[in-house]
Order: sequence, then C-alpha cells, then structure tokens
Amino acid sequence: MKPKYAPYLFLLPAIVLLSVFLFLPVIFSFILSLTNFDVRCLGDFINTKFVFLQNYTRLLSDPLFWKATKNTLYFTFVGVPLSIFVSLMAALLLNSPLIKFRNFFRTGYFTPVVTTLVAVAVVWRWLYHPEYGPINYFLKLLDLPTVNWLEDPKWAMPAIIIMAVWKNFGYNMVIFLAGLQAIPQSYYEAAAIDGADEVRSFFYITLPLLKPTTLFVFITTTIGYLQLFAEPHIMTQGGPLNSTLSIVQYMYNHGFKFFNLGYASAISYVLFLMIFCFSVIQMKIGKLYER
Amino acid sequence: MKNKIYVCSLLIFLTVFSSCGKKQSGGKKLVIWAMGEEGLRLEQVVPLFKKENPDVEIEIQQIPWSAAHEKLVTAVAGDVLPDISQLGTTWMSEFYTMGALENLDEYIKSSQIVNTKNYFKGSLETCLFDDKIYGIPWYVDVRVLFYRKDLYEKFGVEPPKNWEEMVSVGKKLTEVGKDGKILSYAYTISIHWQEICPFIWQNNGEIIDLKTKEIKVTSPEVKEAIKFFVKLKKENLCPTTALGVDLVYAFRIGQYKSFFSGPYMIEILKKQAPEIDGKWSVALMPKKKTRTSFVGGSNLVIFKKSKNKELAWKFIEFLSRPEIQVEWYKITSDLPAVRAAWENEIFVNNSMLKVFREQLEDAKSPPNIPEWEQIAEVLHQKVEEIIVGGKDIDLALKEAEEKIRSILK
Repeated sequence: MKPKYAPYLFLLPAIVLLSVFLFLPVIFSFILSLTNFDVRCLGDFINTKFVFLQNYTRLLSDPLFWKATKNTLYFTFVGVPLSIFVSLMAALLLNSPLIKFRNFFRTGYFTPVVTTLVAVAVVWRWLYHPEYGPINYFLKLLDLPTVNWLEDPKWAMPAIIIMAVWKNFGYNMVIFLAGLQAIPQSYYEAAAIDGADEVRSFFYITLPLLKPTTLFVFITTTIGYLQLFAEPHIMTQGGPLNSTLSIVQYMYNHGFKFFNLGYASAISYVLFLMIFCFSVIQMKIGKLYER
Repeated sequence: MKNKIYVCSLLIFLTVFSSCGKKQSGGKKLVIWAMGEEGLRLEQVVPLFKKENPDVEIEIQQIPWSAAHEKLVTAVAGDVLPDISQLGTTWMSEFYTMGALENLDEYIKSSQIVNTKNYFKGSLETCLFDDKIYGIPWYVDVRVLFYRKDLYEKFGVEPPKNWEEMVSVGKKLTEVGKDGKILSYAYTISIHWQEICPFIWQNNGEIIDLKTKEIKVTSPEVKEAIKFFVKLKKENLCPTTALGVDLVYAFRIGQYKSFFSGPYMIEILKKQAPEIDGKWSVALMPKKKTRTSFVGGSNLVIFKKSKNKELAWKFIEFLSRPEIQVEWYKITSDLPAVRAAWENEIFVNNSMLKVFREQLEDAKSPPNIPEWEQIAEVLHQKVEEIIVGGKDIDLALKEAEEKIRSILK
C-alpha cells in the first residue's frame, strides 16, 4: 500500500461514522426543507414535491415562528449573562482560600447539571406552585405579592430562565474554576506588594486572564441556550399563550406532532443560521479584545 | 492473529445468517404491538387463543405510550411493521393517510364474529375512512362526570343534568374564602380539545363538517359552546388552569368536587385515593341539545405489509368475541367495545358502569383527518387567548377559522 493513503485509512472509521450520522442527515434535512414532506409523503414518496423556498417564505410570515424567535432571544439574552455571572461568582467563591469543604460545595453545585431534567422539572413545578409552592411561601413571608409562576404569560419565561440557570451554572462554574486555577499565584502576590486590593486585582488580573475561558463559555452557552427545548417542553409545553414557545419546541411540534417534516427542517435551518451568525459575531468580538 | 480474524468473521457471518433464518421460518408467527397496560397484559389471553391454534407462535411487544407514536411512524418509514397493532383512536387518520392500514371490509363480510352493528357509533367512526373500515374497536374510553357524592349531598345538590344546572350547581359548590380567595372549585376542566369539544357537540356544533369540508368554527353553535366554556372559567366554577395540581389529590381533599374523565379513573381513584372509596360516583354528561361525550380508546389494525393477514384477522376476531371482551375487562378494566359483552352480569349489576354504557350511546370522536392535531392546537390556543389573554370571542374564532383554512389547504 502506498504510504500516502495510510492517513486516510486511519481516518476511515471516523469519516464513515460522521458521514452516516452527521453529514448525510445534514444534507438530507436541507433537501427536505425544500420539499412539502408531510404525513402523506411518508406512505407514498410520490406525494413529495419540491417547493424550493416556499417553506422559508411561509416561515417569514408565520406569527408563531416570530413569537418563538422572540421568546428564544429573550431566554438567551437574559439567561446567558445571568448564567455566566452566577457561574463566575460561584467559581470565585470556591477558588477563595477561605472556603472550607470545597469539594463538598463543588459537588453540590455540579449536581443539578447531571440530574435528569425530568426529575428537576417535577421538583421545580412544586417550587413554583402558586398555592403550595415554597417560593410563593417565602414571598408571602416577605410581604411581597405572590406570582403565578408557570401560568402567567408574563412570568412563565422568567421562571424557566431561573430554573435553567440553576440547572446549568455548575457546568460553566467548573470551567471557570479551571481557568482561575491556571492563573499563576505570583501575579496576585506582585499586585499585593504594589498595594492593589482584592477588587483591583480581580479587575486587572483575574478578568483579563480569564478572557479565553469567558469567550469559550459565552459561545457554548449561547449555542446551548438558543436551542432551548427540554425545560419548557416538560414544564409548560410552550404555554401559557405561547409565552415559552421556543424555536426548537416549534420545530418539534411541526416535525413530530404534526409531521410537517419539510417545514420543520426549514425551521431548524433558520435556527442553524442564527446560531452560526451569533458564533461568528462572538468570535469576532473576542478577537477584537485580544489585540 | 489471522486466525482470530477468521474466527471473528465466521461468527459475524453465522449470527447474521441465523437471524435471517429465523425470520423466514416463522410463517405462522404473529407479531403484535400493544401499548402500556394492554401490552403488559395481552399475554394473559394468548393461552386461550393458542388452545384453538396450537401451532401459532405469538410475539407481543410492549411499547410505552410515550414512545409508541414515534416507533410506529418510524416503523412505517422503515418498513418494519408488525402484523397487528393497537392504535389509539385519534392516531387512525394519520396511519390511514400514510397508507399503512389494511382495509377490513372483505374480512368483515365473511366473518361470523365481527359485525359493524355490534359496535358503538362514535367508536366505530374512528375506523371509518370514506365509508371503508380500517380497524376494529378493541376497547372504549368515554368521558363522564366524576363527582364527590358526599360533598354534593353536603351542599344539597345533585349532579348537573344540563348546562343551566351546571352553572347553578357549580355556584353552590364553589367555596370562596373571606379574602375572596377560592377555597375549592365545583369542577376542574382543562383547556384541552377533549374537554372543549364535548360542549361543542352537545350544542350540535362541529368544528369541521367532514362531508362538505366546511369549517364551522364561527357558527353560532360553536360560539355559544365556547362562550359557555369561558363562562365556567370566568365565574370561577373551575380553575382557569390546572397545572401543577394533582387531580387525584385535589379530588380526595375536596378541592375539586368533580371532573370529566374516562373509565380508567375508576381504578386510579380506587388505588390512589382509597380514603374516599364509596364517597364518589359517576354521572352522565350535562345536556344542552344532546349530552354527547368524547369517545376514545384503542382499535386493532392489520398493516398492509403483513404477511399473515388471515391469521392476524383470526386473532382480532378472537379478541372481539364477547366472552373474551369480558375476560379482557376482568384483566385490564378496559371497557368492551362490543355491545354483546355489556350484557354480562358484571356490567349489568354495576351502577357505575351502567352510566358508561348509557353514555357510550351518545359519544363522538373528533373528525378523522390527519390534520386534527394541528386544528386541535389552534382550538386550544384560541380558547386560551380568550380565557387567559382576554381576547374577544368573535375575533378569536375568526382567526381560528383562517388558521384552520390554511392548515387544511
């Protein structure tokens, strides 16, 4: 065998697996998004027709799709900064030399990440319960007005955001923690000798040196949050009044509830474009700062 | 090393071949898919069938309801369907549209056991497409009013017989605290098409006229029914939304004094709320022009691609025999779809089941079209917009009409 083929031979298993389970489905779903594929086509492929961009134009004039987009962006723009802020704070606390039982807390904060969402959702539904829920109970104790968390169109999305942040912050916290521990202690010592206090050394040492970590966390979290699905799917099914309907939930409804697979593919391609754009923008911003 | 490779490939070769061989030799093997409890318990009647057909092998695959729909659809696409499957009545149109179901008219014509006259109208309609039959009702679910007898007596009321009584009884049963907070509700009715449609049908309304393909969601009958539905919510006779509260729990502590549901609730209440045994009962749906309820349940279908259709039909015939239907009720508490089975003394002597029997004569299922799920979603959304969002009824129904038109296009 010629040596120049050898690397490809080694790559073959990966290429085959990726092609079958990734590249082909991606191409196929794009073709699907240009057709009218629905229940009728599943039994008889003859019914499938190419409609080209019709699915996409229909999407642009679909008020529910815009509502879903708005909800998803709301979730992302509020959820991502909040989640990163909470993760960073938790990481800073855990990194502090004053903390005892560090492993205990680290495990505790990470537990929600590995807990199944269904179990979490059941518990949170009780926490949010308008009458028996502990959250409203505390609000009452503090003489604050109680909230009908999951049934009020205004509050359902904040409720989902709070739960999602609580469930996911542990993951980013661990990454931040690794980033923090990679910062050499000598910088802080030098700063302390120069008379910098804690706050200053945070803003002038910790934050700048965490930039690559933050950028990574920002991009992965944004990508994850734009694909919001499981939380509202289990907690509210997109209700009340579609106030928690996300793009992926909308795609799921069309794809697996109504079997409009062509239309659902178009939705997922629009979502893909959105995620792609966001990632590019974030990378560009990240590069800008690096200079 | 080389030897190992030979052995391995030989093994793979053998396994592939032996599995192929299995498939071919099983000419007399019947593969059945059944969901949930039915799937678990179907095995218990198989010995009775085998007694008459000793050389038949029956393989039952139990599928959880939550995964069933996806599995069936994938099986249609991937061409790996069983011979027989249980199908929820509301799924029929979808699989019919995919062209997966075998037409059963010829089988019924020559059958001694199955006769369409033996079935309840609403239940049989779920199997009909263009007046042809594509399934046989297996068991039925019909919604009736479950109510707390003791609490109704305490407040001096009887179960509501009509819409007016539903309001007057409801007002007496709903308890309001000093601070204006509602302590307990007369009913609980969720914003779901299975709860909304009976009101529409009771008023002789219809979302779509299947014969003329006319969308009738803005008709006065539908509007009046929706108005009544909204009124029940607005006057706090039932909670606006029921999310998060466990129905059985609320019924047990008397927070909800009645609800509409199917026969499966009997077992659930007996198991999960034994404290109130004997303190609750069931009653017919309240009447407007009719007292139509929703009928669901499951049908048995044979798939077009099956290679054992004759045998499959034999098995369906077996499950449709009145005595087996009674047996099946004893095993699962599923209500028989066959009228003759109801003549058995278990049903005749049971006051609760009598109510279900009577309700079955006046029960309907939604239009048998694959777009129903989407239409139901529109209905749900618009009613929610009226109740939660305060939208004008006429406007909401007008929008619903447009939306349904675009779905049916």
